[in-house]
Order: sequence, then C-alpha cells, then structure tokens
Amino acid sequence: MSVFISGGCRNGKSTWALRFAAAGPKPLYYVATMIPRDGEDRARVKRHQMERAGMGFETIERGTDILRAFDAADPNGTFLLDSVTALLANGMFPPGGVDLDAPRKIADELEAFVRRAPNAVLVSDFIYSDAALYDPMTEAYRAGLAMIDRRLAAACDTVLEAVAGQIIVHKGEFPL
Amino acid sequence: MILIIGGRYQGKLEYAKSRFGLSDEDIFTCDEAVDAINFDRRCVAYIDRWVLGRVRAGEDPAAILAASLDRMADAIVICTDISCGVVPADAEMRAWRDACGRVNAMLADRAGEVWRLFCGLPQRIK
Repeated sequence: MSVFISGGCRNGKSTWALRFAAAGPKPLYYVATMIPRDGEDRARVKRHQMERAGMGFETIERGTDILRAFDAADPNGTFLLDSVTALLANGMFPPGGVDLDAPRKIADELEAFVRRAPNAVLVSDFIYSDAALYDPMTEAYRAGLAMIDRRLAAACDTVLEAVAGQIIVHKGEFPL
Repeated sequence: MILIIGGRYQGKLEYAKSRFGLSDEDIFTCDEAVDAINFDRRCVAYIDRWVLGRVRAGEDPAAILAASLDRMADAIVICTDISCGVVPADAEMRAWRDACGRVNAMLADRAGEVWRLFCGLPQRIK
C-alpha cells in the first residue's frame, strides 16, 4: 500500500511514517533524501537515525535521481521516503544554480517510484498556510512542492495529514 | 454561501470549477488592487488578497463584508488559509492575518457548506 503523509512541522509525520512502514512487507528501506550541509543538518540526521534504530530499516541515502534508490533494493520491500521537501530542495537548488524544471521532473520520478514500489510511505511538509508574501524563487518552490504533493496524493492509495501527533485520513484507510 | 478554504496551491479553485462547472466568466478573482468585489459573479476567488488590499488602505474588511452578506447568499467564496505560521514580524502581515481570520470565521458562520482542500482532496468541515 502506498501512503502519502504531510502536515506542519513537529506534528508527528516522520514518527507515524516509521510505524506505517515498519508494518509493511520486508525488507524495510529508509530512503534519506536530505543532503546534510551543516552541523544542524547532521544533528537532525543523528536524531532520525536514533529514532529508527532497531526497527530493521536499511538506510539508502539518495538526495537526487530518486529512482536510483532501487539500484540495490528489492522493489517488493517497503520504502519510507523522508522527505519530498528535501528532495525538491536538492533538485531545484543544486550547488551554484537553480533548476526551475525540477518540480515537474521530480513529480514524474516520484510517480514512477510509487508504481515501482507498491509499498511506499512518502513524507512531505505542509508549508502553505502562513501569512507571508515570499520572493518569486521561494514562491516557485512552494508551488512546485504543492504540485508534487497533489500528484502524489492522486497516485497513492492513502493520504494522511498529521496534526498535533494525530492522523486525519483524507483518502483511503488508516494504515494500521 | 459555500466557503472553500485551504492552504496555498491546494486545489481550491480547481475544486470549485469542477464541482460547480464554473467558467472563467463566473469567477471574480481578487487582488490587492481591487477595492469593490463584484458580487454578481457566482464565485469570488482569493478573497484573502482583497482583505490584504483593504488592510493596506486602513479599512476594516470584516465590517465591509458584514454589510454585504445578503448579496453573498448564493456565492461560492474561496479564501486561502494563512493562519498557521509564526506571528509575522511585519505589522501589516499581522493585520492581514487577523483580518483574514475574522473574515473566514464570519463567512463560515453564514455558509451552508465549508470545505477544506488538502493536497487536492476536499474535506467537508461544515
């Protein structure tokens, strides 16, 4: 079963995603998309590693070309991809440049990812409800992520929103 | 009135168009420069942007709309939810957020249906 989960910061998305994925068919893969750039990022990676320690996940670090996550993985296992947000940031803002076509490419790749791996849990971030007017580049990133989110929501069996550690089911059934 | 809310880019207008068969002529699209909303159109889109323009003009958008509620009885109103970020450092953004919240609550109170869009998926919340 494919699950798309989004919600605000610190609302429990990643923790729930781990529980959903851990209940899926083995082997379990954690697809880490964030490319750490500083000490704060590395500390965050450590926290996430500790949180999933002992749950039986094999970590695949894949910040770009997401379909290469299958290079050495069994597509019939369960894949937890955390997060769509970081994947788009890597694609849209590569070192020394900007790729405005990245959202479309990544949406295509993630749709193919879900087709290839029937058991996938994908985590995104809900960054659409604050009172701010952003610069055009940030706005393009928000629009791009929302487009990817909506295509994944259409492609996945289950769509969930995490709010204060609770789960709202927008499509499909609660996965556990 | 039917109120459709949700974050930016969540598919509010697409939902209204497909559910009610709206054409572009049915939709009044607000921006900050619009001072008067055309209530003859079936759908008023992005009323939050009209609210921002009124806030900048030093007016009270909730009070203006309160006087127009009877003309909105059959309207489909779309409002972006901007209520979930950190309190904005900028006073104008704070005033915009406050005014939008009051407008949303007032419209939702009057509306027969309130829908919230999340990643393109509608959820009825009233």
